[in-house]
Amino acid sequence: MKETILSIPSPLGPPTDLLKFSWEGTPIKETVSIVGGIQGNHLNGIYLCSRLIRFLDAVEAEIEPDYILKGRIQVIPAVNLPAFQEGNRLWSFDDLDMDLAFPGNDQGEVAEQIAAAVYQHTKDSQFGIILNNADNHYEDAPHLVCMNPDNLTKDFARSLGPPNAREPENSPALRLCLYNQWTENRLPSVILSAGKPNHLDRALCETLFAGLVNSLLWTGVLVNKRKKTKKYPVRFNNRNNEKFVFAGAGGFFLLLVQPGSEIKKGQKIGEIVDMYSGTVIDSPLAQSDGYLVTLRDYPVVYQKEVLAVLLKKQKFSFWPF
Amino acid sequence: MESRAIVSYQTPSGQRVEVVKQTFSSVRKRPAKRVAFVSGLHGNELEGIYLCHLLIRYLQNLQRTQPKAFQGEVHIYPAVNPQAISAGSRLWPFFSQDINRQFGGDNGNSLPAQSASELLDDLKSSVDIAVDFHASNLHLKEAPQIRILDGLHKNLLPLAIQCNVDLIWVHPASPMFESTLGYNLNQARVKTLVIETGVGLRLHRKFADQLFQGMLNLLHHTGVLVDTGSLPKIDPPVIAHPSQVALLQSRYAGLFVGHSDLKKNVAKGEVIGEVLSATDGEVLQEVTAPESGFLFTVREHPLVYPGAPLARIALRDEGCP
Repeated sequence: MKETILSIPSPLGPPTDLLKFSWEGTPIKETVSIVGGIQGNHLNGIYLCSRLIRFLDAVEAEIEPDYILKGRIQVIPAVNLPAFQEGNRLWSFDDLDMDLAFPGNDQGEVAEQIAAAVYQHTKDSQFGIILNNADNHYEDAPHLVCMNPDNLTKDFARSLGPPNAREPENSPALRLCLYNQWTENRLPSVILSAGKPNHLDRALCETLFAGLVNSLLWTGVLVNKRKKTKKYPVRFNNRNNEKFVFAGAGGFFLLLVQPGSEIKKGQKIGEIVDMYSGTVIDSPLAQSDGYLVTLRDYPVVYQKEVLAVLLKKQKFSFWPF
Repeated sequence: MESRAIVSYQTPSGQRVEVVKQTFSSVRKRPAKRVAFVSGLHGNELEGIYLCHLLIRYLQNLQRTQPKAFQGEVHIYPAVNPQAISAGSRLWPFFSQDINRQFGGDNGNSLPAQSASELLDDLKSSVDIAVDFHASNLHLKEAPQIRILDGLHKNLLPLAIQCNVDLIWVHPASPMFESTLGYNLNQARVKTLVIETGVGLRLHRKFADQLFQGMLNLLHHTGVLVDTGSLPKIDPPVIAHPSQVALLQSRYAGLFVGHSDLKKNVAKGEVIGEVLSATDGEVLQEVTAPESGFLFTVREHPLVYPGAPLARIALRDEGCP
């Protein structure tokens, strides 16, 4: 079912419509909520939602005969629609970060009304997934973000596919994020981050799509008569496990590695060259072995900026189950 | 006056960006008090930058003519977000990040987060009292006012009333404030007053002159300056607690046309403005004062969506004339 859960008129143009798509099977035991596009340029997540919508419409229409709906699935694909339509991370009218507006206020300004509608429609779910990209100028290898996951959340994370989970930054601003509102409401949930902003990586999305369908099967809201649910190994990393590589100078960053690769201690991450002369002025090195989860994508860098984030290998290098 | 860069980094083109602190030292070995003035966290808020200019000019002259007047220390940080100020934008342009949501906790290692951390550390280590100057955003125009979080008012009101503002608004606490400079300084026992005045990208000389007198009075009141001649003349402010502020909001999308100036007492029912249809001749909403009081906020940006703030009134206590 396609539903407009909020419509805010505009002074001149079309209204801002917040859409929710949902499917129900019987008996309804669980509800899974999937939210994308909290930032207007997180396109992989918005596209993934469209893939899911097409697939679930086909399941509902019995075009996918092996699948049966046994619960409720709801997808809100584009939370920050005004920013998405501008091609920006933030909506230029207010320059507010939508993910600092939760739980929102249904009597407030546009961002607060949208946040309130998203939160109200998802807070009573049994599971939640937020689809993100890396921050501006970065690319993320597919990974999950979850805070102090209990066993149920860990098992949920293991149904999605990415091999690593990180903890979010423990900042006061986190309290204003949708993810934190969900976890405070005891909703087992994860953030799935993959790729870079302003880009749509179809091949990556297909891989993630398979994981999302698997997670729906794991939760039981979707059943496949022939397929068993997969349980993927996931390494849960704490913040202390993250090692950063910084730019020692400003200039062009010419990268030599790829996100998702294993990096050795002392390995050169790339080179920073003077933007006029092309002279190499810094050769940032990895300070430890680790999995390269986030890498600078935009080549123009300031001194002191983070170029790469490595997930250092833990003493017990793998703890899948 | 001594100048020192407290934050410094190289741009991609090799130039340096510096956050400068100007210090006026005390003639005493142990300064009476150490007061800081901070401006430019948001690059489109220029009132504070102008105020810092007025203060630096006055204090430089005083140091030349009456060096013994400095019994305490004054630290002025006139432009703490230089790149945003250069661009005239609220957010740090390259990162689209609000630096005043980067304080406290573990905010990661982005350049804005590092700069915020360095500024906070410098202030915590060198001052007892801080004044953080802000203008409003581009949407609202504010009478000179100090905003104090409920709970901090007992500590801060005695200082705030020295500042020659029209209004002191004790407003409810919210998680939104926990990542701001003012909140984190107050948590660190640096008494910090947050001043809001004017509107983004504009200067109001009358407001600045009024606040300049207030800041000089604050410096005298705290014993930082002595024997400089006649004391600045200041007026007592209106003090409004959370339940004493009425927020007037738009019920429609359209154009707001204000009928009333700031800094005036309005009577119940007085027309403050209208919301007009942007496409036909209809008046959608007549915006009137719900009660008598002091009008301290009026919308400047004419485009409005439903829920947009239009005005704020500090309600007059019952029984007052």
